[in-house]
Amino acid sequence: MQDLFTEIWESVRRNKLRTALTGFSVAWGIFMIIVLLGAGNGLMNSFNQDSEGFASNIMEVFGSQTTKPYAGFKEGRRIELKKADMELIAKRFPDIVDQISTSISRSGFTMTYGKKYYNSVTLAGTFPGQATMERIRLYAGRFINANDIKEKRKVIVLTHLSARNILEGDTDYESLIGKRVKVGNLSFKIIGVRHSHENQNDRDLYIPFTTSQTIFGMDDSLDRISFTFNGLDSEEANEEFEKRLKSALAGPHQVAPDDEGAFWIWNRFTQNLQMQKGSKALQTGLWIVGIFTLLGGIVGVSNIMLITVKERTHEFGIRKVLGAKPWNIMLLIIAESIVITAFFGYIGMLLGLGACELMDNTLGQATMDLMGQSIRLLVNPKVGIDVAVKATVLLIVAGTLAGLMPARRAAKVRPIEALRAD
Amino acid sequence: MIELKDINKTYYNGQPLHVLKGVNLEIERGEFVSIMGKSGSGKSTLLNIVGILDNYDTGEYYLDGKLIKDLTERQAAQYRNRMIGFVFQSFNLISFKTAVENVELPLFYQGIGRRQRHLMAMEYLERLGLKEWANHYPNAMSGGQKQRVAIARALITRPQIILADEPTGALDSKTSVEVMDLLAQLNREEKMTIAVVTHESGVANYTNRIIHIEDGIIGKIEENLQHNSSVFATNTIIK
Repeated sequence: MQDLFTEIWESVRRNKLRTALTGFSVAWGIFMIIVLLGAGNGLMNSFNQDSEGFASNIMEVFGSQTTKPYAGFKEGRRIELKKADMELIAKRFPDIVDQISTSISRSGFTMTYGKKYYNSVTLAGTFPGQATMERIRLYAGRFINANDIKEKRKVIVLTHLSARNILEGDTDYESLIGKRVKVGNLSFKIIGVRHSHENQNDRDLYIPFTTSQTIFGMDDSLDRISFTFNGLDSEEANEEFEKRLKSALAGPHQVAPDDEGAFWIWNRFTQNLQMQKGSKALQTGLWIVGIFTLLGGIVGVSNIMLITVKERTHEFGIRKVLGAKPWNIMLLIIAESIVITAFFGYIGMLLGLGACELMDNTLGQATMDLMGQSIRLLVNPKVGIDVAVKATVLLIVAGTLAGLMPARRAAKVRPIEALRAD
Repeated sequence: MIELKDINKTYYNGQPLHVLKGVNLEIERGEFVSIMGKSGSGKSTLLNIVGILDNYDTGEYYLDGKLIKDLTERQAAQYRNRMIGFVFQSFNLISFKTAVENVELPLFYQGIGRRQRHLMAMEYLERLGLKEWANHYPNAMSGGQKQRVAIARALITRPQIILADEPTGALDSKTSVEVMDLLAQLNREEKMTIAVVTHESGVANYTNRIIHIEDGIIGKIEENLQHNSSVFATNTIIK
């Protein structure tokens, strides 16, 4: 082993510049792979961060417009969800539907607390189930409970941003509990302060559903029905269920059972699946770009080794005369090729990891305002240890492949022909 | 030791060239022979076949009783390594290795450890009076010194036979004499079997038997124990 490294060192030392130039292209290839994947990961993390804090298996049903004439009605009729629909869903699909909730919301209120105000507030009437469904985190107090619903209490759960606002930047949310706040013309008792996702338009102030019905002057119409579900693991299963759900709702609303347009369903689970697919595709794409860049380096190494073989033909001839087996010669070339790719690849990898770190400290901290939301473009743009391991394996395989062809050529030359070569 | 039976060899580089036309030859253990011939007579081809550097078309070649035919590269390498020591006109030392590293090389391919290899190589260099030159590179040595390093390298595996292809071809007459004396001494004192290919009668005169080869067939074979075959070149080598 030591002998092998001595031989490689001797060969590399004799061709410093050439080795360094080849090494550079390998290092560049690996550097590109690491940086591209790091940036890709940062982008994906930035997307995924937005969906953090929500249950991933959630579906929301909205009323829409019919697309088919049915039972004497013309197409294009608006469908409004009713409270009865919520009960129907829960009753019809007990195995699948887990938590069910609904909300109706109205926006444009002004909230006043003492002399502080807070403009364009949205009130949303909802059920206790909303808390688990949206994984609501409370900083203080409690969420809406069953008694609030039953007694139509005028209680309210604030977002931590609105709470901070009326506290003039203070974060002593506990002190707000039990206090009264005015929204529009009505006075509510604060029962809780919840965490809200600032860059997600997540600004609803929750009140009991029954209270909201009264305030908004609605009968038993609903904006939407949302529920968590179990046992739908694939995109197909989800689609199939959505169809069944639509046809179940069709009856009471006198809609054609196969009218796909009358109800609109938003499904976070399938959306996530699609996003995962997208992220996979992005990652595969980046790997491919990176690998092609690396391929340039590998071709370079292969080229250099071919020249080396040509230059050293005479020496290999001498070695063969002295008893070197073809394998001994091949090993010399392949090992040199692996050492060059591995060494420079490793340097490229370290530089790539450094560049990811740099990216994290500069671009990663920058935020962008997009449609009123502030978004961090790259979140944690780094690669994991798995990528480092994959890249290392890739390097060794690449080094072997790069060395293989020249090595075979070197091993194949007959000793007398090799001796004649200069 | 070496037995050649009706060896034929044709090169096919464009025009077929029948180089060896049925060579029959025997070299006994402990012999010191020369193969003499003009350039193009096939003497180098013959040496390459005997040295398992090249293969032959028809016939039989026995080395130490073993039939050498259709060997794989791997087997051939092993035979060369264990049984044959080579000395070339152009020395064929590896330029980026020191004298001692060059001498060590055949032992490396036998899988002998670094330390032992080094000890043995130093021992052989010392015997050939090159101890002080052990860590010099070939470029820093004279032709005679280089050829002695090459001879040390050929000897280190204790081969059955030394094959020398024009060993004095690149040397002046004084060093040529030294080298031939060295080979003669090895044959005399260590009973080493040595075959020298040459076109110089003075060189051939050092050997005990001279085999003439002409146009690919063995011609006259002279017993030369008196070393007087070359009237002009007794005890010297005319360049």
